[in-house]
Amino acid sequence: MKQYAQVEHVFRHEYGFLVASLLRRVGVHHIDAVEDAVQHAMMQALDFWCRGDIPDTPSAWLYQVAYHQLLSEFRISHRRKEILSEQVDFANDVFAEQPEVPLPGEMGDSLLRMLFVACNHDIPVESQLVFTLKSLCGFSVKETALRLFITTANVYKRFSRAREYLKNQPIDLDNLTNSDMATRLPMVHSVLYLVFTEGHLSSHTDMVIRKDLCEEAIRLVVLISQSTVGDVSETYALLALMYLHLSRMNARQDDSGALLLLEQQDRSQWNKQFIAMGLGYLERSAQGQTLSRYHVEASIVAEHCLAPSFKKTRWDKIVASYGLLERIAPSILHQLNRAIAMAEWQGPNAGLDILQSMDIPIWLNRSYHWNAVLADLQYRCGKTTLAKKNAKQAIQKAPTDNIKDLLRNRFEKYSLSTLRNID
Amino acid sequence: MNNKTYMCILRSKSGSCEKPSPSEMELMYAKYQDWQEKFADNIADMGNKLGESGSVVRQDGVTDGPFIELKEIIGGYMTLKATTLNEAITVIKESPMIANADVSIEIREISTP
Repeated sequence: MKQYAQVEHVFRHEYGFLVASLLRRVGVHHIDAVEDAVQHAMMQALDFWCRGDIPDTPSAWLYQVAYHQLLSEFRISHRRKEILSEQVDFANDVFAEQPEVPLPGEMGDSLLRMLFVACNHDIPVESQLVFTLKSLCGFSVKETALRLFITTANVYKRFSRAREYLKNQPIDLDNLTNSDMATRLPMVHSVLYLVFTEGHLSSHTDMVIRKDLCEEAIRLVVLISQSTVGDVSETYALLALMYLHLSRMNARQDDSGALLLLEQQDRSQWNKQFIAMGLGYLERSAQGQTLSRYHVEASIVAEHCLAPSFKKTRWDKIVASYGLLERIAPSILHQLNRAIAMAEWQGPNAGLDILQSMDIPIWLNRSYHWNAVLADLQYRCGKTTLAKKNAKQAIQKAPTDNIKDLLRNRFEKYSLSTLRNID
Repeated sequence: MNNKTYMCILRSKSGSCEKPSPSEMELMYAKYQDWQEKFADNIADMGNKLGESGSVVRQDGVTDGPFIELKEIIGGYMTLKATTLNEAITVIKESPMIANADVSIEIREISTP
């Protein structure tokens, strides 16, 4: 139905816009009342719109209903507590004004500002992420918990940490200076990168890939790229990275939903339009003086997207890129990836050499990644006994059945061929 | 032909609903749309929501609520077209409204002479 399509994603997409626009109007410390009012407006919408009364501009309709709800809440609480002059003045101020609905561009601007308010050094990163998902992307506590693989109690804890901070700060969204925003831009980038990463290979047991999370992250990064502060090369590199990954998303699962390895994916299913968009953003990011980790990561995905086949991938370029990534943003995971690429380029022994020179931190040893890569390269070097041991450990440590299956799928290939060799 | 009209009265327990998230509301909305499309011939009037306050007038005076039981409120009404009561029940059973455990819907034929 046409009408239905018109409001299909209104609820989730408008939530953050409404919350941010109202916070801009009444102050960030009213976060609880604002979220309640938006929730109320959406329930009203569900009721009225289902009866067929869909307004021409659903967004403006929701804003007005939420705004009136907020006003009447303030009136009630004012009467009940007979509070201080601040609130009386506030109530009188808002009564005096007609509730004009902000322009769509203005609502985007509010959401953007709110994102920068939330990405503050004084709030722990995990709390920033939870707050962004919950209050600006419209996820429930339960959904946030599932998506971040933490308990709901933990979501509440992290969320309330962010909320307590916001409630106690006299933050005026219009007082955020461009230099404040510029300082926080890297944090905003990294929170949205995390949202995307979680969508790309979810720790959720039922859903391996959460495309909706990826799309949500892209939507917000696009918004950032359109702002004065966010119009920088890192933002475009991040967008390039996201679109290039998005292009392969549908090909990463088979019909039953099982994950497919890069080598097994049908490259003709990769979305060419997204690849083109990703490359366009990559080109745009190649300006200015900065080379961020997003630039390098995007260039690695671009190599894969442009390669005609797994065999014909330019592994030498990828090895070099991971080397560069290690220098820009040191992480042992980049070394691990470099070892994998090296094995494709110069053979499994060269890859194994890198692994053996690595100093493994405890957290990596606890995850399945280390054992999985080790097992893979050991199988290919003919060190079957060691490989089997590591393969078993990798499968045991894998967090979800989907990933366990993916690993079995990979290792069974090797054990069959080794068996054949013995015969 | 759907020649009979049925009045459906929605009752729910007050204040027992947990707040749905925007994506859950999106899902509810989609379910409503599917249901309305499927039974377009049966749904005569989506009706309206009724306010939470009201009065019952009797010969011996006015009591202050339309409540059947103290904590049950009539949330709204709608009318259906169907040939039999069973058909009307089928339509309502498939509606998203009934998915909430705290909601009950009374179906009565509107008899016309």
